[in-house]
Order: sequence, then structure tokens, then C-alpha cells
Amino acid sequence: MSTDILTLKGIRKSFFGTEVLHGIDVSIRKGTVHGLVGENGAGKSTLMNVLGGVFRPDEGEMLVDGKPYAPQSPKDAQKAHIAFVHQELNLFSNLTVAENLFIEDLPLGAFQQVKYKQMEQETVRYLKDFQIDVNPKTKVENLSMGVRQSIEIAKALIINADVVIFDEPTTSLTKVEKDQLFRIIADLKARNVTIIYISHILEDVFELCDDISVLRDGSLITTMPAGETNRDALISLMVGRKLENVYPTVEKTIGEEILCCKHIASGSLVKDAGLTLHRGEILGVFGLMGSGRTELMRALFGLDKISGGEIIYKGKNFTHHTPKQAIEAGIAFVTEDRRDEGLLMPKPVEENLLLVHLPALAGKTGVVDQRKGEEMADASIKALHTKVQNKKTQLVCNLSGGNQQKVVLGKWIMHEPEVLILDEPTRGVDVGAKYEIYTIIQERAKEQSSVLVVSSEMEELMGICDRIVVMSAGRMAGEIECSEFEQNSIMEMALAGGGKA
Amino acid sequence: MFLQDNIMLFVFLVFFICGMLFVDKFASAYNIKNYLKNCAPLLVVSTGLTYVVLNGGIDFSTTSIISLGSVLGAHLLVESPLAGTPLAVPLTILIIVGIGLAFGVVNGLAVSRLKMPSFVATLSTQLIGAGLAVWFGSILFEGAVSLGGLPEAFRAIGGRGMFWLPILIATVIFVIFNWMLCKTVFGKQIYAIGVNPRTAEVSGVPVKKNIFLLFVISGGLAGVASIIYTAKNGAGVPTMGDAMFIDIVGSVVIGGTDPAGGFGGVKNTLYGVLFLTLVSNILNLMGIEWFYVDLIKGALVIAAAVLNLIFKNLGARGRA
Repeated sequence: MSTDILTLKGIRKSFFGTEVLHGIDVSIRKGTVHGLVGENGAGKSTLMNVLGGVFRPDEGEMLVDGKPYAPQSPKDAQKAHIAFVHQELNLFSNLTVAENLFIEDLPLGAFQQVKYKQMEQETVRYLKDFQIDVNPKTKVENLSMGVRQSIEIAKALIINADVVIFDEPTTSLTKVEKDQLFRIIADLKARNVTIIYISHILEDVFELCDDISVLRDGSLITTMPAGETNRDALISLMVGRKLENVYPTVEKTIGEEILCCKHIASGSLVKDAGLTLHRGEILGVFGLMGSGRTELMRALFGLDKISGGEIIYKGKNFTHHTPKQAIEAGIAFVTEDRRDEGLLMPKPVEENLLLVHLPALAGKTGVVDQRKGEEMADASIKALHTKVQNKKTQLVCNLSGGNQQKVVLGKWIMHEPEVLILDEPTRGVDVGAKYEIYTIIQERAKEQSSVLVVSSEMEELMGICDRIVVMSAGRMAGEIECSEFEQNSIMEMALAGGGKA
Repeated sequence: MFLQDNIMLFVFLVFFICGMLFVDKFASAYNIKNYLKNCAPLLVVSTGLTYVVLNGGIDFSTTSIISLGSVLGAHLLVESPLAGTPLAVPLTILIIVGIGLAFGVVNGLAVSRLKMPSFVATLSTQLIGAGLAVWFGSILFEGAVSLGGLPEAFRAIGGRGMFWLPILIATVIFVIFNWMLCKTVFGKQIYAIGVNPRTAEVSGVPVKKNIFLLFVISGGLAGVASIIYTAKNGAGVPTMGDAMFIDIVGSVVIGGTDPAGGFGGVKNTLYGVLFLTLVSNILNLMGIEWFYVDLIKGALVIAAAVLNLIFKNLGARGRA
């Protein structure tokens, strides 16, 4: 029982010059359920992607059953009988259940035609083991999320797995579906399959796991039997670091209320959310993945429809508006997805910088004042220290992440917004540019703009915000003033709704 | 950059000089006038289509607008109670443009509101329009394949007696729509939508409204082109637009507007129109049969698309 099926030694991995795994050593006992916990960005998914052959480690070695294991691709991982159930479902929703199960190895006849009958019979037989009762000809898009999850697991196990990795498997499941998943896991364990279980929901981790490993900032903090720890101790281990970075500060005053929203419901993730923002204030919004933090921002900006609640902006009702109206009212939104929602990637810097400000550059006539536009673009590049050689010919897709983000910030700040909403403003940005972006945010606040910052990096929020609100499962889970910032209590709030999910 | 943006202008000039030097009768005043007169309506309709293509869309219905406008226009001018009155010509012009705008409104609503792919929406309206044109033709023309005898005042629009008039009309339209694309908020926003409609929407661009307007512009200009074609032809023909699509799309693509949207412009289309019409003109003078002409035009469209792709990749690499 105590033999190790998996041993990782000194695994290191960097992305674009930033090391995200700093030499991980961990052993996993055969036939156990091993929990892996840590904050957003702690390196859990990266580590599992290394194990699953998606990424190659820069350094370090892995052993499976004592033999060296160096996967070049997910296929190699499958050959080594390591299965990976991903966070996002990877089924083709336009194909049938049977096609999905066999997609990588379709049974073919003499003329390369797919043997559908054989495939469908095998599917039924195979899914019976998992107590999944679906017609193999059903298209996946017509199935509930829970059934899809089960099929995803079944698909992962078709390789006769010895090790199964689950990455946040319960985010989209109902209570009943979750119980079913847990039964499958128990069943696998009974068959001496080893499970690695990644989750934010600590209750589940304690319920399922024999051992628990804690990752923090790309390092393995500890591995211990689940029985020897408790929830509070685990949270301390997950967040237990001192603030290392230096954050810029400015002298400023916080004024009257500018934006207030109550009981906002939008889409499936935002259920009952509200917050109040004052002039000159930097308000942080923290939440784990799926807490509805991004979706609340989208609703505030008018990108997603609001199905309940109201927004009061500068004393007036401002609930059902388009992004265009939001911009005209002085609201700006730096989205999480810079490449697909923030920038026109194949276009030059100047065209990107002026996009928001175009109507203002034209006035009533609709004719753009080209010269003024150029001046403003130059001013923006200078003010934000964006590294650009030629603003008319250099395409933003050829800029670094930090400079791209400065172009996005620049195009909004040019419009002098009164409320600046920032969703993950420093994602994919190098350390130097991060500091500059914090400075830009502080300067906006000094000039009496209000700033809403969403970030999954708690440290960053604690460094720049005057106040932090915490979201969990689409609701507000708490609020903390700057003087009382404390990592454990913020994490506690963020995890609060998890047990109910 | 200049070479890349204006490559078709150079290709055109090379062909034009070759024509002058080597093709018999090409350099005559008669032929050059004729050539420019042929460019005029094509430039008008292709300018409209360019707006749609810049958004990554297509408008098949332009040819049907030309046919339908031709049938109804000729009927109004020759046989309707309106015929012969002083209001006949101005009213007919308004009605034909109105037909184009109406098609544009339907296409625009289908694409921007119902989220239909423009390929499907405009192919449907193209079929409906072509069917209507033939049906009206069979009723109104009482069995004849065309209806001539258009008033001189109308035929002048096609260049009869005043060869410069269609050229002037096309030039004015080109200048206005080129200016709109390059200088106004609307024009710049079209490029943004063509590259990435999500970024455009987040940045406050009224995406739906602008896409709607593109199709209205395309339809309206197809109406104007219908007037010039009919006037030039001197008769209403129910199938007038049928064979024109390769020229219309060819001009836009050969000019260098990216069929995926976001790059190119009306200026490019001008080069495309000048070049493609020149090719037709030269091949005609050389007495080449029409099916060879179509074959060559098709090959040129592919060649132009490949050329633009090569330049695009070179450009992207050069700046990386």
C-alpha cells in the first residue's frame, strides 16, 4: 500500500522568462486519493499539465512505478496510463457520445469507413461500468453538464488508467451529479487506481482525500495525511506568505458615492451581488474562479444583460445600458481578455489607442480630427511609458504583454473616465510593467476617478486597494477595509460559498 | 508600405502601357472613352460592396438590384402613365435607388439583427430579386426580352452625348465614399468591426447599427449602378446583372481588400475596377472569345488573392 506510484523530483517550469514552478518534489502513494490545494495561480494546473504531458518541464524528472517518465505529449501520458480530466470539458458538443469516446481511435473497416455499429455497442457496454445510461447516438450538446462530466471521465479512463487527475471537476455540477462523481472516485479507489484531486472546495478535499499537498507561489509547501490537519490550518498554509512586492502609494482623498449596485443578477454566475464605489476610491473585488467577479463587471459595463437588481450611477438609475452608453457616461472597462476584447491585434498602435475616443475626436460632424488624434496618441504613449517605435506602423500583436496592456489602458484613460473597471489588469505582464500599471491606477484615483479592480492575486489587491469586497458563488461574501486587510480572512470569505455549490 | 498598399496601381499602369504599345486600336480616343464609361458603373457598385467586404461579409444581391432596377426603370420611363412627363426621369432615378436601399435594409436587418451569415442572407435576396426581375419582365414587357426607347435625358446618364457624365457621377461617389471611410468615425469603426467585433463593442462601437448601414450603402449604390447600366444599355433587361458578379467581387478582391475583413478600402477597389475593366477591354480588342475572357478573369482573381496573401505575410514578418 505504501509504494509510490508517482514521484516528481525538482520540477521547474518557466513561461516567458517567469518561473512558475520552483522545483517541486512530491510523491504520491499508490491507490490513494491525493488532494492538491492552493490559491489561484499557485501552480496547480501547470504542475498537472506537466504530469499530463501538455507542458514539458524545464528541469526535473518524474518516475511512474519507479520507471523514468518524460512525456512529450498528452498521448505519451495516456500510454503511461495517466488520465487527465480537465477543468473545462473537452468533449465535442456537435458529435455523438460514441464518437466522442472513440475519437482518438475510431474502429475502421476495410475502406476506412467508421464501424458505427461496433462502436456504439462498445460504448453502451463500456458506459455501463460507470452506470451511465445514455443512447450512444445522442449528441453531447443535448446532455446535462453532469452527464457530460461523467462521459468525460469515462473517456479519460478508456486507456485503463492507473492514475487519474481531476482538475476542479465539480465547478459545473449539481449536488446530485457531484455525489455521483464522488461514487465514481470511490469506485476507482477500490480498484486500486490512484487519484489526484485538485479543488478549491476544501470540504470536498477533506471528504475524499487521504493525503493533501499544498502549493503556494509555485512551491510545494507541504504534503501530509488529511487526518493530521484541518481547514483553518490548510488556509494558513495556502496564503501564508508575507507581502513581498512594493506598491506605489499616493496621497489622495476619497469623496462621495459615485456608483452603487444592489442585488444584481446576471447570467448563471451572478446571483445577488452589490457594491458601492466612491470618488477617488480603489475598490478590489476578490473571488475564486467561477465566483462571478468578472461577470459582475461585465454586467456593470452593460456587456451582459442584467436580469435583476439595479445600478445607481451619480444618483440616477443606470441599470439597462449598452457599453456605448456606459462609455458616454464616463465608465471604462479593461477586460480580462486583452487579445480578444481589448485590442485589435493586427492593427497599429495608433488605431487601437484612438478607438474609444473617436466620437469625441469628431464631435457633431462625424469627421475625425486626425491631427488632434495623433497628438493624443503621442501623449498617451509618453504618459504611460509605452515602448513603441512607430505608432502608425507597429502592430499591437508584436508588442510585449506589458506594452499591450498599456495600449489598452491608454485608450481608456484618453477618454478620462470617472469609473475605471479593471479585470485582471496585470495578467501576463512582467514585473516591471506591473509596477507601472499600479502607478497609473493610483494616479487615476488621485485625480478623483474611481477604480474597480478584479484580480485573482490577493496580494496585488491588498497592495493597491482602499477596500476589498469578496465574492463567492455569485454573492457578496464580505468586505474588508484597508487597515484590516488579512489574507486568511479574505480567503476564508472566498471559500465560504464553496461548500454550498 | 506604399508599395504594398498601391501594388495594383502599378500592375494596372504596366498593363495600360502595354496596351498602348502593343494592342491595336487601344490608344484611340474612342476606345479610352469607352473604357472609362465601362469603369463608371462598376466602380459605383464595387464601392458599395467594399464596405460590406471590409466587415468580412458579402453582398450577392447587388446583381439582382441591377436587374430589377433595370426592368422597373424601363417600364416607368417608357410604358407607365409616368412616361413622357417631366417628372419621369427624376422619379425613376429615385425609385431605382429606393429599390436598392430596400434590399439593403432587408439584408442589413437579417445580418445585424437575426445574425444570419451575410452569405446566406444576400444569396436569398439575390435569388428573390433575380426571380422578381424576370417575372416583372415577362409581365411588363409582354414577351419581349428587353424594353428600349428610353428617353434621351435618361440615356445621358449612361454617357450618350455626354460621355463624361457617368464618369463624373462615379468619381463623385468614389470621392465621397472614400472620404467617409478614411476620415469619419463611421469609417474607422468599420475597420475595427472587421478586425474584431467584440473589441469594437467593448470600445463603444455601435456594431449592429454599423453593420446594418453597410448593407444599406451596398444596396443603395447598386441601385445607382443599375441606373447607369440601364442608361448606357439604352434598354431595360431582366437579366442585366446576372453575369456581373465576377466583375464586382473581382474588383474588390483584386484591388486588395481582405475578404476576411478589416483591411483594404475603396481606393483599392478603384485600382481593381480600372485593372479588371482594362483586361476585359484588351481581350475584347484582341477578339478573344467571351468564355476565355471569363476564364482569364477567374484566374486573375485567384492570382490577386494569392499575391495579397504573400504581401500580408511578408508585411507581418517584416514588422515582427
